[in-house]
Amino acid sequence: MSSNIYLPHLATITDIEAQTPDTTMFRVILEDSTLAQSFTYQPGQFAELSIFGVGECPISIASTPTRKGFLEFCVRAVGQVTNALHELDVGRKIGVRGPYGNSFPLPELEGRNLLFIGGGIGLAPLRSLINYALDNRDHYGEVELVYGARSPQDLVFKDELNSWDEQEGVTVYLTVDRGDERWRGPVGFVPSFLREIAPSPQEKVAFTCGPPIMIKLVIEALEEMGFPPHRIVTTLEMKMKCGVGKCGRCNIGSNYVCRDGPVFTLEQLKALPGGLEL
Amino acid sequence: MKTIKKSHLAEWLNTVAQGYDLFGPALDGVVQFKRVESSDQLVFDYANSVVPPKNLFLPQTECLFAFRREGGSIILEPSGGLERERVLFGIRPCDARSLLLLDKVFNGDLEDTYYQEKRRGTTLVGLACPSPPQRTCFCTSMGIDPLSPEGVDILLTDLGDRYLVEVTTEKGEELVEGLFLPSAEGEKPKGEKGKSLEGIEEKISSLWEDEYWRELSRRCLGCGICTYLCPTCRCFDLTDVGSTLGGKRFRCWDSCMFADFTRMASGVNPRPTGKERVRQRYFDKFSYFPEQYGVLGCVGCGRCSQYCPVGIDIRTIINEVMARGAK
Repeated sequence: MSSNIYLPHLATITDIEAQTPDTTMFRVILEDSTLAQSFTYQPGQFAELSIFGVGECPISIASTPTRKGFLEFCVRAVGQVTNALHELDVGRKIGVRGPYGNSFPLPELEGRNLLFIGGGIGLAPLRSLINYALDNRDHYGEVELVYGARSPQDLVFKDELNSWDEQEGVTVYLTVDRGDERWRGPVGFVPSFLREIAPSPQEKVAFTCGPPIMIKLVIEALEEMGFPPHRIVTTLEMKMKCGVGKCGRCNIGSNYVCRDGPVFTLEQLKALPGGLEL
Repeated sequence: MKTIKKSHLAEWLNTVAQGYDLFGPALDGVVQFKRVESSDQLVFDYANSVVPPKNLFLPQTECLFAFRREGGSIILEPSGGLERERVLFGIRPCDARSLLLLDKVFNGDLEDTYYQEKRRGTTLVGLACPSPPQRTCFCTSMGIDPLSPEGVDILLTDLGDRYLVEVTTEKGEELVEGLFLPSAEGEKPKGEKGKSLEGIEEKISSLWEDEYWRELSRRCLGCGICTYLCPTCRCFDLTDVGSTLGGKRFRCWDSCMFADFTRMASGVNPRPTGKERVRQRYFDKFSYFPEQYGVLGCVGCGRCSQYCPVGIDIRTIINEVMARGAK
């Protein structure tokens, strides 16, 4: 780690995989080969990505630390930096600072069943933990994923959704807000779909990430199903610049989302002023 | 305690200016801390500077590094540190406290080298406050003694024709070595004891949903002057200037009073109206900062009250919070 917290590491884009019309998975390898091997992080953490000359933005790490040597970021082209990133080809250099933020509470998950509820690109940070759990299969019980997007073409990680579902002890439930002529699966919003599936809260921790309104309604549904607030975990999005709790903009109450988050339990959010207003 | 004659101060500062970059209160439109060549350029008849000294440690705009594309790679060149050690003359006890508060933010587990280099390379010579204080001063309510040497290396206190010299650090000792006649002794005037604002953290926290913030925000123009002139406000933006071929990354002051401060690329803004933004500023000073760092985030310098174009006065807000808030 550089002692200058604002100076990014250089990284080379090695793979680009379109996920949806506006979302792409970028695999990068840190230029410093020693660092590339030693660079470590936890599922749930994020990095600040730089396109020099355009700017920087925080993106959650979508890869798992169990697979070393590279980092993956699933990015939707929505702002200046993310659009500029989409212009780049394999071989181009970007900047990476991090890893930043806390992570999913790994020690508390040992031996538990895991329920993931994602919406759209909100699956990206969850993917890190899903693959981490599957790479450490003995440590976890049943794994369920409830995932939805606006339309079939907006579902990300389509190949992995299939391969996860084929694994023993893993169930993937997919839904879309609106189907198309080829879609044979369920149609409906994620929160109501979750209520239909009604997963048991037994020995289970629920993780959710997606659009703010989806997170809000999913949390309501989980609470009604009997999940206690300390076993409902979400990861939040906020406007960030520094990523290290200094630039002063991403706080919820006295907690900086970049430093004290982005992962919060519902129990923690309930204790923060405005924590449930997101 | 040692003293220095006022007539000798200029000579001392001029000596200092030979070995250090000397900064002090100077008139540049308004009174602010500027680099001076000699003590002639300094002003002394000021209650406090209009612009706080934070810009010497967290400049309003600062280049963090330059970048340029070279072949297939990118070269990054971080900005250098100070060329010479600096002496900052004339800061008041409230501003000295503000630097101790900024230290808490910029030190810690992820150190900000740009800030720290400037702090380490600067010796602070404080000036105790004149009495009576300025109309808008309320440092004593924030637990600050206007005659305290807290946070400075040397404090000068006005004794009429002389200054009392309190040296509190080794850095300070270096600066005054061999300068004083041992015979010229003086006695320190008594400082002021602060009034208590006990429980302001809990009281403001109980007012999260209070209509007061909306009422207050109706008057606020969102101009951000309160944050720019606040010695403890430190929000910043990081922004690139240039092109993808080459340029610089700057850090610039930002303000939680600006509408787009928290607006994300998606268009979602967690602080969409003035109510949330005004509330953020006062919660940060009196609830979040104490929670994070164990001390109030305001130093009572009164600049925000003095220069707010619509007359929003932080002392009125504090009084309202103390009156309305539940324990």
